Amino acid sequence: MPNDYLILTILVFIPLTGCLLLVPVWSRVEWARRIALGAALLDLVLACWVYAAAPAVIAGGGTLPGFFLWEDLPWIERFGIRYTLGMDGIALPMVLLTAFITVIAMLVSWRAIKERVTFHYFLILVMETGIMGVFLSLDLFLFYLFWEVMLIPMFFLIGIWGHGRRIYSAVKFFLFTLAGSLLMLLAIIGLYLIHGDQSGAYTFGLPALLHTQIASGASLWLFAAFLLAFAIKVPIFPVHTWLPDAHTDAPTAGSVILAALLLKTGAYGLIRFGYPLFPEAARTFTPLLYILGVIGIIYGSWVAFAQADMKRLVAYSSVGHMGFVVLGIAAWTPVALSGAVMQMVNHGVTTGALFALVGMLDERSGTRSIAAFGGLWGKAPVYSFFFLLFSLASLGLPGLNNFVGEFLVLAGVFRVSPIAACFAFVGVVVTLIYMLRLVQEVLFVGERTPLPLADISFREGIVLGVMGVTVIILGVYPAPFLDLVSMPVALLTGGGLP
Amino acid sequence: MLGAYLPILLLVVISICFGLGALVLSSFVGPKKPSKVKLQPYECGCEPVGSARERFSIKFYLIAMLFILFDIEAVFLYPWSILFKKLGMFGLAEMGVFIAILLVGYIYIWKKGALEWE
Amino acid sequence: METIAMPAINFAAIMPETILSVIAMALLLINVFVPSEQKAYLGYLSLIGIVVTFFTVIGGWGTPQEGFNGSVMQDNFALFFKGIFLVSAALSILISDQYMKREECNHGELYPLILLATCGMMLMASGTDLMTIFLGLELLSVSLYVLAGFQRDSLKSNEAGLKYFLLGAFSTGFLLYGMALIYGATGTTRIAAIASYVAQNSLAGSNLMLLIGMVLMAVGFSFKIAAAPFHMWTPDVYEGAPTPMTAFMSVGPKAAGFAAFVRVFVIALPTLRADWADLLWVLAVLTMTVGNITALYQKNIKRMLAYSSIAHAGYVLVGFVAGNAVGTAGIMFYMLSYAFMNIGAFAIIVLVGKKGEPNNNVEDYAGFGFKHPLLAVCMSIFLFSLAGIPPAAGFIGKFYLFSGAIQAGYIWLAIIGVLNSAASVYYYLRVMVFMYMKDPVEEFDWLKVSPAIALCLIIAVAGVLIPGIVPGYLLELAQKAVLL
Repeated sequence: MPNDYLILTILVFIPLTGCLLLVPVWSRVEWARRIALGAALLDLVLACWVYAAAPAVIAGGGTLPGFFLWEDLPWIERFGIRYTLGMDGIALPMVLLTAFITVIAMLVSWRAIKERVTFHYFLILVMETGIMGVFLSLDLFLFYLFWEVMLIPMFFLIGIWGHGRRIYSAVKFFLFTLAGSLLMLLAIIGLYLIHGDQSGAYTFGLPALLHTQIASGASLWLFAAFLLAFAIKVPIFPVHTWLPDAHTDAPTAGSVILAALLLKTGAYGLIRFGYPLFPEAARTFTPLLYILGVIGIIYGSWVAFAQADMKRLVAYSSVGHMGFVVLGIAAWTPVALSGAVMQMVNHGVTTGALFALVGMLDERSGTRSIAAFGGLWGKAPVYSFFFLLFSLASLGLPGLNNFVGEFLVLAGVFRVSPIAACFAFVGVVVTLIYMLRLVQEVLFVGERTPLPLADISFREGIVLGVMGVTVIILGVYPAPFLDLVSMPVALLTGGGLP
Repeated sequence: MLGAYLPILLLVVISICFGLGALVLSSFVGPKKPSKVKLQPYECGCEPVGSARERFSIKFYLIAMLFILFDIEAVFLYPWSILFKKLGMFGLAEMGVFIAILLVGYIYIWKKGALEWE
Repeated sequence: METIAMPAINFAAIMPETILSVIAMALLLINVFVPSEQKAYLGYLSLIGIVVTFFTVIGGWGTPQEGFNGSVMQDNFALFFKGIFLVSAALSILISDQYMKREECNHGELYPLILLATCGMMLMASGTDLMTIFLGLELLSVSLYVLAGFQRDSLKSNEAGLKYFLLGAFSTGFLLYGMALIYGATGTTRIAAIASYVAQNSLAGSNLMLLIGMVLMAVGFSFKIAAAPFHMWTPDVYEGAPTPMTAFMSVGPKAAGFAAFVRVFVIALPTLRADWADLLWVLAVLTMTVGNITALYQKNIKRMLAYSSIAHAGYVLVGFVAGNAVGTAGIMFYMLSYAFMNIGAFAIIVLVGKKGEPNNNVEDYAGFGFKHPLLAVCMSIFLFSLAGIPPAAGFIGKFYLFSGAIQAGYIWLAIIGVLNSAASVYYYLRVMVFMYMKDPVEEFDWLKVSPAIALCLIIAVAGVLIPGIVPGYLLELAQKAVLL
């Protein structure tokens, strides 16, 4: 596809343009809401159009094979920094997910946010630009820029509209992520200098950097820095501690975006940059990733089991689910990697929906404690149906989306490291237990304290319905998705690890 | 390199020893018979009047400072006047600039009232 | 009658300094002849003077001028720094009018003093003789002592002035002694002559006198740039001085100190490079760490910014240690962006205070974000830039400095710098936490933005964001200004 129309740029900057449009209507909340939603919807339509047009041009080229959309403009030439965006079969699902989840996040917070409404939507749109940029950048400097840009709105979202220890959580989130990413920045500079000294052409462009020959000692350190930044974002086990706090204290829209999108940027960074740039070092780190991935799955599930707060439970379940993604990346075989990418999307939809559901309960009753609810099945049947659907999806019921992803990951990992796959399977079982327990306690056990609860509204019904349909389609007919992913995955794994 | 400065160091050491030696020696050797009159502050032989710890008006400091400032210009005027002919017009112009700068300061303090006693 | 042969003078080399000092003296005279209610004109006149000087600086770009028998050299390096000084002086003047009127110490001497201090800084940047540099430093320092204590009826301001004077004089002593020892070792005070003498006689760190001279000069300069452990004066002076002057002091003199520091060490003492690089390595690490860690628990925002300015001196030292073209250009780029972001932040601090109530505690900013959204957005931009978060100029600057360090092989220094930078985010964020996430205590109804401060904020925001997003042009300039 020709890049004359700068489609990717438009995709990235539609939300930011929406932000500018918000400024004149700052105090007219109803208008602001609609404009923000309009911008997000426009972006979603464009992303869908790109998806619809993608198969026809999938063989089209840029400098990197597998990329069918490509934009490259000079930016800071003194440093060899260029404005390079590219889209392949892995970035496309992520872009779709981003556009989709942003719309969802706006809809779930439609009435929940009562103060500083315009600012809320403003931040969500800025964040969408940041996340889109992260998924599409092929210049490391540009990537880093977007990586930081998406931090700031989330900090404000948690800090201004959050609950509980919102400020603590916001600051913790910001500092954790920043500390990791700054070390990554050093690694990026190091890589840039090594490549420049080698080839004489100083550049931050990914295609050129992929051919850098790095001494094994240096590459270990560089990869470690990248890994740390991405591991904090994913999050991988010992550096996950910001996640439960941030998720729990964030407002519903914040939790949805955090879980569905921000966590993906970490995994995506590993797939796009970490592994391809340092294949040798990555191989050295693979056992560690297996171990940490498995620990993440089991530990996350185990801790989730003990939670009394629903939101915290879902947050810990994220740690577990992202463990599968880590395992899939660590295995780095076509099957496992496809599974990991699929699992990224699945987790985005499923966990996003679960956070939305918990948010709705919270909005109605003011509490998220599992013990406060019971017997919802009789009082709010539609709500309960969706609750059950997404819980089942989350625990990996065959026929729903998570099953496909987890299955692919486990199948792929089993070929390379049967032990890791076995341990991961234990995690699946624990997930099953705590999810079923949650469903049982909230939906079926008799009512404990009577709470005034209305069933879902039309708006909420649309949100949950669309997500439910996505969950089922991805679970029943994942073939188009896997086709899309297959080529870039084959290119990535073929060139790198066995 | 530093060795060249050894004589200076020696000079410093000897002079310190000389001064200290005189003081120490006199405190050992000299007879001490203090009396009230002897311990009085020495004021040119007159009887001391009042306490020695008196406060001066701040104006004295101001005047002293201004005096030093404008006194310095003379230090530059002397060598210039000796070489006046050799320095030529350029020297005259430079000195004019110098004086003009001082004049600005002079006008400033004058208008500010720093030269008035009350 | 023979005349004495005059050395090559070349007034073009001190054109900006000449213009500024003439204007300063004119202002001094106008000040005493104009009734006190028309003092605002002095501010405008001084701004005009700065703009005129700025144009001569731009006009001089690319044509190095040497003058006064090699004791002054106006090259691109000096010109770039002169640009920084003029920017910081202009921005500080823009915020002083409202503050000084409010605090009822609107004395006209303010403007000539700022101009003279700027003049001194310029002399430091273009001085190629230790004596010229010292002259510039004294002119700068003496003006600043007065400016720090400018609020005569405020005890804190008096304390600031006195402290600054005592410690400044102390540090000048170190510097001068160092210069004297260097003169003793090489027999000259011309920087170029020192370099050639050192090269010819292959003097190195084994020469004790040279080494001690170098160390003492480093101590003297470290006082001026407020590098730890010679930073003790900074918080008290910054807190007590009138806020616009704090803004000025935290940028201009620091940049001037760096200009002279870099020129003397890089050009005159290249053979001692191994020695001074080690020394500065330690200084940089100490400065960053002490500055940031102490800033973490400051409640007063002026003190916090004082410690943060110490930390920023540390980042800049990282570029100095690197010593390569990238690092040195990074110093210049960083100091320029620092001028915009720091003075911008101080402009907001000026606005938040009112007569007798400086409102300098972080708590006083509670709810500010929603009472004055535009001002709070400006403050956030400045703070994010100080924290080094893209897309602000502070990020590009840090990127530049740390790139230089990595390129020169100082990986650990870069890592320590980056970790420090991460820690520093905490205290900048805290201001934002109060602005946006706490309920307002005050109504901020006294707050009025004068046109001058508005202009200052617009310039500062533009100066932070434009080089942050399209830094190409400025990077090019900085690169052309590098000495090496």
